[in-house]
Amino acid sequence: MAWSCEQIEARLTDYIDRLLDAGERSAFDLHISTCSRCAPLVERVSRLVAELHRLEPLEAPPALVPAILEQTLGPRGKKTGWRALLGWLRPVWQPRFAYGAVSLLVTFAVLFQALGIEWRKPRLADLNPVNIYRAADRRAHLIYARGAKFVTDLRVVYEIQSRLRPEAEPTPPPEPKPGPGQTEGPPAKSPHQLNRANDKSREFTALACVLETMPARSVR
Amino acid sequence: MRRHTRRIYNLCYRFTGNRHEAEDLSQDVFLRVYRTLGSYHSAHGGFATWMTSVTRNLLIDHYRRTKRDRITDSLDDALPRLEQKESAARRPDQAALEGELSAQVQRALSKISPDLREAVVLRDLQGLEYREIQDVLQVPEGTVKSRINRGRLELARLLEQMGVRPE
Repeated sequence: MAWSCEQIEARLTDYIDRLLDAGERSAFDLHISTCSRCAPLVERVSRLVAELHRLEPLEAPPALVPAILEQTLGPRGKKTGWRALLGWLRPVWQPRFAYGAVSLLVTFAVLFQALGIEWRKPRLADLNPVNIYRAADRRAHLIYARGAKFVTDLRVVYEIQSRLRPEAEPTPPPEPKPGPGQTEGPPAKSPHQLNRANDKSREFTALACVLETMPARSVR
Repeated sequence: MRRHTRRIYNLCYRFTGNRHEAEDLSQDVFLRVYRTLGSYHSAHGGFATWMTSVTRNLLIDHYRRTKRDRITDSLDDALPRLEQKESAARRPDQAALEGELSAQVQRALSKISPDLREAVVLRDLQGLEYREIQDVLQVPEGTVKSRINRGRLELARLLEQMGVRPE
């Protein structure tokens, strides 16, 4: 059965709140799909209801809860001294304010560090733009020079390490077995000492080669 | 308690349209709840619904008490809309605080009858179910639906007249 405009208006809330059964809903939809008067009305009220549901509730005044507590539980003792101060600061002691304060402090610390401002001994001249520019420029050059030196040092160390690394020694040819009646020759005196001495001499030789090939600035 | 405070304050504000009155009424509500807590029985419904009933009774009392003032207000409302705009412009801080749409909804709400206003506020701004509204208003479900329906239609018509088009 087709619905009239009056029926649509009367059942609009049921339609918006989804309280119509399937048959009623299809009759409702059928009417608004053809009625130029009801369709905008349904759309307008539906939007209004959605907007009302989205409206944020207002914040109650901060003094309301203390006033209610005072009226119901009686007057509370007036705080004095540092307790009063703490009570006054309570709204500020919230995580969001703490995070904000910490990030502000860190930002200023980084800025002061970058601009070369001595925060332990602050001077008025530190706030002069010219001084700030000079300090920042000096700091930037220092950082660049330190970085360049670090890279150069790393290269030198790497080169030294690569030179000092023991090379793969060729396997010595097998010694001919002594013939019958032959001895193997005189035994070497303290062979371990001899090996260490040989190693050191090899290292010094390699170091000398590296130092010769390096530029004079790097050596200094 | 803070949750209830905010809810009750909003209910009072949406009904009266005045922050100071809403604050005073909220205090009265909590005082009455505190004094009549012994009369609350969980079998009769949730605590929030009971508090809403107490609030509603106080709001009706307040409405009857201030009827004479409102008649004067309604005469003021009959003045040209230009004056309303000037009045709104004189209080930019309040408009900024409430948000434009919220303030316009409040202006429209204050122009519909209290029966329709409380039904719409309870349903659409406080988010109560039909059953809870029925308990608060002490009227049959059909009446609740009818009031909400008429209230919404009236509100939409007023907002359209004010040039407000919800997104």
